[in-house]
Amino acid sequence: MAEKEPVKSKPRPIIRLGLFLMSHSLLVSVVCCTAGILALLLLPVLAKNTYISENALMPGSASPMLSSDDVSEASRFVDKILSLDSSSASLGIEIPRLIKQHITALGGEVNYHEFRSQLNTFRPLQFFASPDPGIIQENSSCMSYGLNTVGIIRAPRGDGKEAIVIVTPYNSRKVTAGEALSLGIGYSVFSLLTRVTWLAKDIIWLASDSQYGEYAGVAAWLREYHTPFFGGLGKLHSEICCEPSGFSEFETDAILETGISDTFRHAGTMAAALVIKVADSSSEFEKDALSIYAEASNGQMPNLDLVNIVNYLAVHGQNLRVKVEKIQSFLHSWWLRGLGGLFESLGKLARSLNPQWSFGISIAEYVEGSATLASSLYNQALGVPTGPHGAFRDYQVDAITMEFSRQLSPGYRNRQTEFLMRGGRLVEGVVRSVNNLLEKFHQSFFLYLLTSPNRFVSVGVYMIAFALLVAPLPMVAASLFSDASKLGSMNEQSTSGPFSKPALKFRSWKWLHAARTVLIVQFWGAFMTLLPYFYCHIPNSSPMTRLLIWIVLLIISLLLLWLNLGSIFSHGNNTQSQRTQWAYLKSVTIAAAFTGLCLMSVINFATAEIGALLLVPMCLMTVPMKLKGWTLRTSMQVACNLVLTFLGFPPVAFVVLKGALKGFDSISIGEFWTWMEALWEWNSATYVYICMVHLPCWVLCILTLLHPC
Amino acid sequence: MESFNFPKAVAFLVVLIATNLTGAISSTVSHSTATMHTNNWAVLVCTSRFWFNYRHMANTLSLYRTVKRLGIPDERIILMLADDMACNARNKYPAQVFNNENHRLNLYGDNVEVDYRGYEVTVENFLRVLMGRHENAVPRSKRLLSDEGSHILVYMTGHGGDEFLKFQDSEELQSHDLADAVKQMKEKRRFKELLIMVDTCQAATLFSQLHSPGVLAIGSSLKGENSYSHHLDSDVGVSVVDRFTFYTLAFFERLNMYNNASLSSLFNSYNPNLLLSTAYYRTDLYQRRLEEVPVTNFFGSVMETIHTDSAYGALSGKQLKSGEIKMSSDSSGEDRQRILENSDVKDQGSSLNIKDQQVTCPFTRTLSTIHERVEKVKDVDGLVNFGLVLVIPLLAVSSWLSS
Repeated sequence: MAEKEPVKSKPRPIIRLGLFLMSHSLLVSVVCCTAGILALLLLPVLAKNTYISENALMPGSASPMLSSDDVSEASRFVDKILSLDSSSASLGIEIPRLIKQHITALGGEVNYHEFRSQLNTFRPLQFFASPDPGIIQENSSCMSYGLNTVGIIRAPRGDGKEAIVIVTPYNSRKVTAGEALSLGIGYSVFSLLTRVTWLAKDIIWLASDSQYGEYAGVAAWLREYHTPFFGGLGKLHSEICCEPSGFSEFETDAILETGISDTFRHAGTMAAALVIKVADSSSEFEKDALSIYAEASNGQMPNLDLVNIVNYLAVHGQNLRVKVEKIQSFLHSWWLRGLGGLFESLGKLARSLNPQWSFGISIAEYVEGSATLASSLYNQALGVPTGPHGAFRDYQVDAITMEFSRQLSPGYRNRQTEFLMRGGRLVEGVVRSVNNLLEKFHQSFFLYLLTSPNRFVSVGVYMIAFALLVAPLPMVAASLFSDASKLGSMNEQSTSGPFSKPALKFRSWKWLHAARTVLIVQFWGAFMTLLPYFYCHIPNSSPMTRLLIWIVLLIISLLLLWLNLGSIFSHGNNTQSQRTQWAYLKSVTIAAAFTGLCLMSVINFATAEIGALLLVPMCLMTVPMKLKGWTLRTSMQVACNLVLTFLGFPPVAFVVLKGALKGFDSISIGEFWTWMEALWEWNSATYVYICMVHLPCWVLCILTLLHPC
Repeated sequence: MESFNFPKAVAFLVVLIATNLTGAISSTVSHSTATMHTNNWAVLVCTSRFWFNYRHMANTLSLYRTVKRLGIPDERIILMLADDMACNARNKYPAQVFNNENHRLNLYGDNVEVDYRGYEVTVENFLRVLMGRHENAVPRSKRLLSDEGSHILVYMTGHGGDEFLKFQDSEELQSHDLADAVKQMKEKRRFKELLIMVDTCQAATLFSQLHSPGVLAIGSSLKGENSYSHHLDSDVGVSVVDRFTFYTLAFFERLNMYNNASLSSLFNSYNPNLLLSTAYYRTDLYQRRLEEVPVTNFFGSVMETIHTDSAYGALSGKQLKSGEIKMSSDSSGEDRQRILENSDVKDQGSSLNIKDQQVTCPFTRTLSTIHERVEKVKDVDGLVNFGLVLVIPLLAVSSWLSS
């Protein structure tokens, strides 16, 4: 009876689409993953030219005012620094004193800032918290002091609410020619800015002591800048050190000499910071070069406008060659050249069809672009700042490191003044441009990847690759789940008859076993995250031994876990339920991986992108080895699985990647451990990702592989 | 109640009709006459803030200097500057503003009276100035006290777009706002002729809604075109003047108060190749031929002067008259008074030669217009009779009501 049949209500289109995708999940996942990887490879082609988005900046609209007088003065200053006796023990005091004298002579305000070297400690719960003011006082030994010198120019007609920071790091124990030159550039700009009438923001010149690392000095100064400490220097000393060190004695003398009270000086909120460095090695090009470093902790970048104005002024104003870091080995890789050739010919073809389509780029451009992009992606994923500018980003200040490198040629003396002139004028131009700013940098992008100093890929474009990669995960998870439920219900029906209600109820909660397994493994991951905290203080251990300890602990804990989880796997003896069991396990694993990747993409996108490249194929491919008989297809599958899982183990992945990029002969296994230590020293979220998302998923994949069915 | 209300309503209607009739007569009279050009006003507006918009302030100050040089006194210039570049901390030359990189002329010299500054420059205040609807406390120096015979120059510069001009980065003046304000001005008889000059991107679109007679409009660019800055002062570090204004100033630099250069020569002086945009002018609302109108009619304060034999005799007569008018305007029987006034004026017109004297006082001006109208009306007796006839039903109704 056709008309008596109940009218089956059609589900909504979105649900039907979902069901359709689920039923074709294999095809969808293959297509999506391929498209995701292809989109990643296409990024250098899709990169756009940078442009200055903020109207107020107006870089290069004012002619530089730095005169040859300023420069020759700065040149004499550099010579004075270099002529100081490097063997004398008081070198660490002489340079700050020299800088202080010069700043005072120029009419700027000046003070010293003392800081203690800080052991990089592992603070697992401080990945996202702002730097803690409390740690100033911690683990200090009175003997190890660094001394920053801070000069401040007050804007003559400004409101004193904002400031621009110029940082010149130098090692006070052993100053190199490059560091002296960077101090010279800082001095020349500072001396000019004391005289100009157009300042709207205060200028802070921080000559930071880099004897404990370039980052430490800047970070210590910033910490104190943002946590006002009331009371004089002497008070600070008496509180912390029982006996005054010779160092501070000298300093009190110096204070008495100059008659300047040495309280910590503040200016306004920082609008931007420029770190000036001069490389000791010479530039490999015909002209002076400038390297830009922008990556701060956890893949944060300064506003693209700051990079743009530096690049614009360096190229158009000072005729410097600007470069950003790139992975050198990519430049000679044959497969990138091949891809570049393919894209070039595609572009040409498109242009012949319609002259307005001009998206093709040349092979050289493509290879350069992808080498830079890879480096940009890696540096962001690492989450470790590439220079002292990273310390500023922790306080939401846009900062950039500009590293000049000289072209070495005869006539050194002339070159020095010319070099100082170029560097000084570039810094002056950037300062004047930032000085024009009315608000914080906000117009341009914060989320971007550079493919060259003047080309970038914005977040809207590079997200596509990641989205395509992770898109199949929920679909495969859902399809596995529904298949397993169907199979399970059929199974139940065949064994216990069609109307057994308890069995039906039981079946619907079956996935909870798998969820429990995943949860236990996740807890284990959290335990592994905290584990190094307990034994990283073992003295005199090489990275290699620490790594071995870690691996041994990992295996032991895994075995313990296996013994615990064994009971789960023994549940349900017949093969049919075993079969549904692994499907549930895989489904929940994939869901967990998906959640982890999506969470990470919010925190550090580059990490999530690279992580997805490793994790997604591994999670999607994994199938129990005992599933079917040994045919060619299954053995291929098993081989694939084994290779992917092997590569998925973090140390292996690290060694293989590094080996592929730099050659296997220079690799030692211990390097992985050093890398990991660096990650947690810098509070990188990547470490958390590896231990809490990647490692558990890897373990769960192994569990699925070894599943007894 | 209803029966009582009805006659009241009828009475009201009758009064309305009566007043309308007389109004209609007087309005037909006023259209046919031309008011004298009495004075010149200028409203100069810079609508944008921020240091990088230095050039807009320089544009406005340059125009201010030009109209002052050509004879509009400071009290008849309303200068609106949205930001203070002269005292901006970024200005390399404190308290100075230049419109040229040669720095020969400091626009922010001794005698600059800024009427509206900073955040006072809003769309609301601009429209209030045009329409004369101010709070009581606003001083006379901040009001546009123009009259029926005024020539007004409105100059605006800033950032604009299709049918709008941005004020202060937060609000915008739209073309129909401007048209509405101009229409109200016309109805309130606040100008005789109005020249609107706008230097923004797509300036021509701002005039699209105007339809009040006597309005002339010049814009720096057509729809879809940008207006560009003229040059960058690399010493100050900003662009200092816009192209359209630069060439306008270049035109006026050659003139003094006594030149007879016409508006058409100004309009033809704009070269699209130099402006990088096409200057647009709208003349369809303007009655006179541009070749015959000297630029000083708007940019200066040169008026036709007419020699009179007895300057003071006329004045005393007028003062006497004005007292009378005040008295009469207070009384209620409007139609009758109007006739009385008319007849008075007629009497006076026969004794004094008002027509030939230069008028400045508003009362004398209205007097003279009434006089002129009356002269145009041939059948004076008929008019008087008509008024009397109208009073009869009024009387009848009121007596019926009171009975």
